[in-house]
Amino acid sequence: MFDEYLRSVLIFAGIHVIAAYSFYVPFKTGQISLGQAGFMGVGAYAAGIVTAKLGLPFPLGLLAGGVAAGLVGVGVGFPALRIRGIYLLLLTLGFAEIVQVIILTWDYTGGAQGFQNIPFLENALVWIYAIVAVLIVFFARLERSSLGRAMDAVHEDEMAAEVMGVDVVRVKLFAFGLGAFIAGLAGALFAHYSTYVDSVTFNILIGVEILMFVLVGGGFSYWGPLFGAMFLSLLPEFLRALRDPMELIPVSWTENAPWNRVYEVVYEFLDFENEKRLIVYGLVLVVMMILRPQGLITRNTMRPFRFVQRRMHDA
Amino acid sequence: MLGQQLINGLMLGASYSLVAIGYTLIFGVLRLLHFAHGEVFMVGAFIGLHVVLWFAFANIYVAIAGAMVVTALLGWIVARFAVQPVDKGYPLAPLISTIGVTIVLQNLAINIFGGEQVAFPETIEQILYRIGPLTISSVQIFILAVALLSMAALWLFIDRTRMGRAIRATSESHETAALLGVDVNRVVVVTFVVASALAGIAGVLDGVKNSAITPHMGLEVAVKALVVMLLGGLGNVPGAMVAGILLGMVEILTASYLGTSVRDFFTFVILILLLLYRPTGLFGTRTIESG
Repeated sequence: MFDEYLRSVLIFAGIHVIAAYSFYVPFKTGQISLGQAGFMGVGAYAAGIVTAKLGLPFPLGLLAGGVAAGLVGVGVGFPALRIRGIYLLLLTLGFAEIVQVIILTWDYTGGAQGFQNIPFLENALVWIYAIVAVLIVFFARLERSSLGRAMDAVHEDEMAAEVMGVDVVRVKLFAFGLGAFIAGLAGALFAHYSTYVDSVTFNILIGVEILMFVLVGGGFSYWGPLFGAMFLSLLPEFLRALRDPMELIPVSWTENAPWNRVYEVVYEFLDFENEKRLIVYGLVLVVMMILRPQGLITRNTMRPFRFVQRRMHDA
Repeated sequence: MLGQQLINGLMLGASYSLVAIGYTLIFGVLRLLHFAHGEVFMVGAFIGLHVVLWFAFANIYVAIAGAMVVTALLGWIVARFAVQPVDKGYPLAPLISTIGVTIVLQNLAINIFGGEQVAFPETIEQILYRIGPLTISSVQIFILAVALLSMAALWLFIDRTRMGRAIRATSESHETAALLGVDVNRVVVVTFVVASALAGIAGVLDGVKNSAITPHMGLEVAVKALVVMLLGGLGNVPGAMVAGILLGMVEILTASYLGTSVRDFFTFVILILLLLYRPTGLFGTRTIESG
């Protein structure tokens, strides 16, 4: 259906979307995690053990990846209840580093050589976007459910939520565990598409990237993670696409012309496989935070698309 | 043997301290995790290297001075163009903005200097001194002296000058400081400049110590310095100095007695235990409820 290159771009974008939703759930209760890459690692290795070592089919591996990460998530979620803000950021960062060290030293799954020969998932694209669709429907429903409201209340003011009868501990633990579960799915999918993972695959920069997906897209609407992850994953492709029309300009126009140098510089900047493109990517982030710190999408952005109009504050 | 390891730990810890002081200064003033601080450290190392390579007359002192000037300028640019224009009403927006700066700096460095590891030339004559059972080299003495001098200078600046007092006041409360006539925006910029210059020094010292630098060296130091900042207590400058040295020693000791792979594990277990049981740091001088 798609050519090979576009397919792999879409697959990674889809995995990024799932990972972004894994950050979004705890964020909905005000918990900020830099450790989602760690949960992805747990999911990837758990799923890899089930399929590659035990020889069981992929759906079981996917489930195992999610459940293992989810259980670890609840385990991390307990201490996370006590702290917030930058402390939680550091706690989850430390967690991700510890996962990395364990992966690196665990010989059963290859240790420093990495986990090799994970079976390749043939129809990864379908699996990934099916899960993305399920997640969107789930979050659309959650938004209007009492649980979703409770989560928003906890984000706004924990004390007030508690007074209103929200079980803050349960809501926060649920959110953290569910986020980890979703991250585990993302990790399992990644492992079975790339067929190889190691300790560097899920390093803390990946966790940072996941946080970025959500905050650039907008963390206060369930469309934000989808949009942010898609936008940032495809941005390099957009930049490259900008280059193609430049090739239509006849050489005689630029050759020896004073703007030739400008042409060359711009062309090189938009070139794929080029660190210069990443410089643009970084600058886009800075400029975006200056112009639109709330993220690209807020609840009000999506309001015109609702059938039932409701008043809601712009978060 | 133990004494020798402690000296190595002191070397490692000194660079952690210098980077962590910058973090903690900026955190104190802005409650901001300056994510790109590790990259400033990396830029410092490369500027130091190229000053030595480009100028025939340049010795290590010129290299350090050059690195300080460039990283200080970088700190000014980051503060003015990537941190101050961002609306503080969104607590995570400045963090994302500095992540953007991280990406820009790292890829600029890869672009300009190449992605590979580069050798750092020997700029100080290696002389080994024996003191009883211990061996200490001239390079180690130099690194330690520069690190301690910079920390002492910083302490004098924070403790004795008007600007230092303004920085301390701003860390306590922006509103009160502003009411008392402190130009808070200027304080923020100066804090970034000072913190970045310290990271620049640390970068050059790291190059001298390891005789090799890469554009990817920033991240590991940045993460370790975060642990140090927490160990010392968020916003606590003397705390960061002591905690950096402490962590350096703990890391060297665990690495030599338990193995290198255990080292990082140990460091982050310390981080997590600290977060859970003593979030105010070892010295417990200040409590900041949330970031």
